Amino acid sequence: MSKRNLPIGTRDEFGELALKKVQLTSRLQQRFIASGFAPIKTPVLEYRDVFDAMAPTVENAYQFLEESGESLILRPDLTLPVARVMSTTGITPPTKWCYVGDVFRIKKRHSVGYYQITQAGIEIIGYQSQKAERECLLLAAELCRDLGIDDVTLELSDAGFVDTILAELPAVAREPLKQALFNKNLTAYAAQLARIPQNPLTEFLQEWPWLFGDAAAVLAKLPDLPAIQRTAGLLRQTISFLQRNAPELNLTVDLSSQTPQPYYTGLAFRAYAKQSADYLFSGGRYDRLLSSFQQTLQPAVGFSFDVDALSRSLADQPQQAPTLIYFNDQQWTDAQALVQATPNASLCLVDTLREAQMQAQSHGASLINLTQEVAP
Amino acid sequence: MTINIALTKGRTEKMVLPLLKQAGLDIAPIQDKGRRLIFNDDPNYHVILAKGPDVLTYLNGGAMDVGIVGSDILVEQRNPQYDMLDLQTGQCRFVLASTADFDPGIARRKIIATKYPQITQDYFNTIGEDVEIIKIEGSVELAPLVGLADAIVDIVETGETLRDNQLQVYAELMPVSTHLVVNKLTLKQKRAEIQQLLFNLQEAIQEAAL
Repeated sequence: MSKRNLPIGTRDEFGELALKKVQLTSRLQQRFIASGFAPIKTPVLEYRDVFDAMAPTVENAYQFLEESGESLILRPDLTLPVARVMSTTGITPPTKWCYVGDVFRIKKRHSVGYYQITQAGIEIIGYQSQKAERECLLLAAELCRDLGIDDVTLELSDAGFVDTILAELPAVAREPLKQALFNKNLTAYAAQLARIPQNPLTEFLQEWPWLFGDAAAVLAKLPDLPAIQRTAGLLRQTISFLQRNAPELNLTVDLSSQTPQPYYTGLAFRAYAKQSADYLFSGGRYDRLLSSFQQTLQPAVGFSFDVDALSRSLADQPQQAPTLIYFNDQQWTDAQALVQATPNASLCLVDTLREAQMQAQSHGASLINLTQEVAP
Repeated sequence: MTINIALTKGRTEKMVLPLLKQAGLDIAPIQDKGRRLIFNDDPNYHVILAKGPDVLTYLNGGAMDVGIVGSDILVEQRNPQYDMLDLQTGQCRFVLASTADFDPGIARRKIIATKYPQITQDYFNTIGEDVEIIKIEGSVELAPLVGLADAIVDIVETGETLRDNQLQVYAELMPVSTHLVVNKLTLKQKRAEIQQLLFNLQEAIQEAAL
C-alpha cells in the first residue's frame, strides 16, 4: 500500500500546475537578483531550536531525532534560517538575500490543503530606515502588476499597536481582551469589555474588533493617544507613499489582528486578490530576530510570496496544441532548432514514420516529418 | 457581494432559522426544502446545509464564508477560523457521567468513553488526571452500563437520556451553544456585508432574549 500512496498532506506536481510554478519561481527570483538580492539556499532540515521564535506554531512541524538525540525539524519558515546564517557566518550587514524554497506546516489530517508550501521572498538586513519596507512593498506590488494580478488589496498593520493600547488598560484585563480581540470573538470580547471601568478609550474599545478595512476609515477612528502617534505616523506615511508609487493597490489597514508572524516588531503587511482563498504575500519588519541567535540587535525587513496561492491566482495559459518532430540521425541539429522555434513541440524518438504517426494520433499532436520517409 | 453560509442541518438549522429570518434572510426556501441542500435564490445570501463537522471543512477550504455550528464541534476540531458570535441557541452542556456506583476518586487510570476525545483530554488535563479515552460514535451512555468504560463525557440538554439509563452527572465540563464562525480571509474580503449580518444577528439575539 505505502509503495503506491502519498503521505497525507503531500502531492505530486506536474502538468499545468508544475509549469506555472517553475515559471513563477524563476521569474520571481530573476527579478529579485536583478534588484541586487543575492540568492541564499538553506537546508530543508534544521535544528528545532532555530524556530523558537515561532512558538507555539512550531508544534505543527515534522520532527525527527538526530543520532545525538537533538530534535530536527523540516523547516516551517524561511526567515529564521536566514537569521541563523547571519548570526553565525560573520557576514557584515547591510545585506540583501533572496530565496525560493519549500516550507512544511502540518495541518489537520484529511482537511483541505497541503503541508508543503513553496515560498519565494527577500530579506533586507541592516537597514533601520523605512526605505527597507518600501523596497519590499514596491517590489511585491510590481511583481503582482507584471503577473497581471490587478485586484490586489494590501493590508498594513503595526506589530506594536495592540500592546500599546492594552498598556493603557488595567493589567488584569489585558490578556483576556487580547485573546478575544485576536480571535474576533465578539461575544467574549463584549464580556471582557464590560469588566473594564469607563475610561477615555471606551468608545474606541467598542469598535476595536472591527478596526480593519479601508485605510482612511480605520485611521480616522484612532484615539487621540500620544503612545500611538508613532504607529499612526508610520501608517499614514506608508499609505501616502504607496498612493504615489503603487496607485493600483487597494489599501487597507488592520489594527485588530495578530501579525502574520509572532517575530514581527514594526510595520507588517500582507496582500490578497479579490477571489484568492489565501494571502498572496506577507512580510514585515523584525528587528529583534537576530538577537535571539546572538546578542546584537539588527534591523531587518522581509517578505515572501506564497507561490502556490500566487499560481492559483494566475489565469491558465491557453494550451498550444502539441507538435511532434520526426527526424533521422543526420537531422539532430535541424530537429532541435525546430523544437525550440515551435511552441509546445518535442522530438519524437521513434525509428519509423509509422510509429511516429501512431504516437501523434494517440496524443492528439500534429506531426512534422523532417525525413524523406513516406508512410507505407 | 454574496455571503456564503454553511448551516448545520437538523436541530441547529431549526433553532437558528428564526434568528436568520429576523436578521433579514429569506428562509422560506429552506423551510420548504424537500431534498435540496443548496439555496441560492437570494443574491445576498447563499446557504448550504451540511453536517456539523463538515461546516468547518467547507469554511477552511474557502468554499464558504460563514459557518453556523455547535461550539462542541468548534472545540473538538480545534477550529482555526474566527468564532465570532454565540447565537445563544441550542444550549446544552458537556458533563462527566456514570452509574451510581462510580467512584471519581478511585486510585487507578480510568477509562472514559466519548464522542469527543479532544474535549475529554482537555478536561482531564486541566484537573491533572491521565485517563484512557475510548472513542464511541453514538449512544455513548451504553459504555459504562456494559462495562466498557468507567464513565462517559457527553453532551446533555435536559439530562433525560442520562436518567433513563440510570446515569448521573459527576462533573460539569463546559457549556455548549450554536456559534457563528467566519473564514479569516473572507472577513477581510467581505467586511461590510459580514459586519451587517453580525449586527443584525446581535439585535435578533437581544430581541429573542427579551
